[in-house]
Amino acid sequence: MKKWPPLLITLSLLSIFLGVYVGSVHISVAEVSESIVYGIKSALSGLFPPISPGEQPKYFTIIWKLRLPRVLLAYLVGTALASAGVASQALFKNPLADPYIIGISAGAGIGGALGAIYWPEHMGPLAFIFSLISVFIVYNVAKVNGKIPVDTLLLAGIAYGFLANAVTWYLIISHEDRAHVTWMWLMGTFNGRGWDDVAVMFIVTLLGLLFLILKWRELNLLLLGEESIALGLDLHLYRKLVIGTIALLTAFSVATAGIIGFIGLVSPHIMRLTLGPNHRELTPATALFGGTLLVIADLLARTVASPRELPVGIITAIMGAPLFMYLLLKHKRGELLA
Amino acid sequence: MNLDVSLSFSYGKRRVLDGVEFSAKKGELLAIIGPNGAGKSTLLKCMVGILEGEGKVNLNGKDLMVMKPGERAKLITYVPQSSLPEFAFTIEEFVEMGTYATKGSVEDALKRVGLWERRKEPITFLSGGEYQLVLIARALAQGSDVILLDEPTSHLDVNHALLVMDLLNELKEEKIIVAVLHDLNLALSYADRLLILHRGKKVWEGKPRELEPAVLEEVYGIKANLVEVSGRRLLIAGLSKV
Repeated sequence: MKKWPPLLITLSLLSIFLGVYVGSVHISVAEVSESIVYGIKSALSGLFPPISPGEQPKYFTIIWKLRLPRVLLAYLVGTALASAGVASQALFKNPLADPYIIGISAGAGIGGALGAIYWPEHMGPLAFIFSLISVFIVYNVAKVNGKIPVDTLLLAGIAYGFLANAVTWYLIISHEDRAHVTWMWLMGTFNGRGWDDVAVMFIVTLLGLLFLILKWRELNLLLLGEESIALGLDLHLYRKLVIGTIALLTAFSVATAGIIGFIGLVSPHIMRLTLGPNHRELTPATALFGGTLLVIADLLARTVASPRELPVGIITAIMGAPLFMYLLLKHKRGELLA
Repeated sequence: MNLDVSLSFSYGKRRVLDGVEFSAKKGELLAIIGPNGAGKSTLLKCMVGILEGEGKVNLNGKDLMVMKPGERAKLITYVPQSSLPEFAFTIEEFVEMGTYATKGSVEDALKRVGLWERRKEPITFLSGGEYQLVLIARALAQGSDVILLDEPTSHLDVNHALLVMDLLNELKEEKIIVAVLHDLNLALSYADRLLILHRGKKVWEGKPRELEPAVLEEVYGIKANLVEVSGRRLLIAGLSKV
């Protein structure tokens, strides 16, 4: 699998194009392209006045204002969640770790719900604070003699996730006027998101992902636990930095699109089976693949029950949960070596 | 090259290492022995900075204790007790992991342990003995002056155990080698000097041929006989109460 970068980039672009192309209003490929070209031209004409966008195409609003930001946002959130998954697995030295399963997403949910109810413009930072607290709690509860065994990790994560969900639901139910909006957000959706959300998510994902990609050696070393100190890793510093990155990526994903599970588990796992565990390839490949997966999941969420829209979290759970159970079975039999 | 160590360590109130002092130098294989729970692994972990001990670890007069992990790993490294690998890195990727490993040092290290031809194989398919050799190669590729090894021959069959000990015997001419050994007979036949730990304290230090059965009886609580076979000292132990 030497040719994975062009392959995964092609898949990404294809999924994004498909995401923009498919929708309740049928729009031809030519018209989709026309609207995108017009959008790019008008964006550029602000910077370079000689570029003139010409006449606005018929479906410009649907393509440029509704579908494209939504699809790009799904891609960015998928990328962020998949990267957070890879980082969690290195941090916890455990291929089953994922921000969703170990309760980090649920923790971020408290912050997001507080934001949705009281300070809608601060959902991201609030979710970030709560997800930091959550990683810290789960990490310390799950730790046994400096190691994080699968069983204590899952138990600590599940217990903490329940607690966090209970708090979130209490917040939602006790604020009836905002309950429906908050609930729709929490279940995971990209409906009604615009270019502002894309910009924030782009910056956060870029920062987090760049750090994880540049620090691939350190992520490999994290898998060795305390032994890595003897190989020159400042383990305590990097544990903190990676915890911060996971919290950042998870928090802004949750604040933007609610709680979407399993992307952080499924993408790294499939990539590890195809490319191996070395983070030099694993992190960028997982990021590209995670984005593609979530764009497709969102496409399904919009179309399977059309004209109704399902929360995308339901689609990822239906795709991811059976895989997770299969992984647990393999782990139990000691076959989980990838 | 000279390593001077003087270390204490406590887990909460429990004193695990109590003022253990010794020196090690190039050209001599130092083996640390002692019963389970004597503090052998703790001693190595303190020396390499995994645990924060009190005292000093001086290499050629430089204090390793005050260095950052990145700086320290250039001078001293460690081969941990072998546990099964969970992630399927290839042999080469695994040996490359150290901060100071280079393409050249990885190739040299893998050739030295005889695994260069198999470098693309995943470590998860190796036998216990082969994996131990990979762990040693990973430490070698760091190019540090000191290598500490924690029970490098446990779980190995006699062939691999001797292979590892012969390798250490060669390496001691280039580096300072300190190994915690479980197998007293391997320690007696290969080590140039023995250090015996018991309940966190150094109770004996010297050449294998100077060791008296009484010391082993006291430390291990066994009836020990030391016999000489073709120039080597060997232990014959019985479980009858001392």
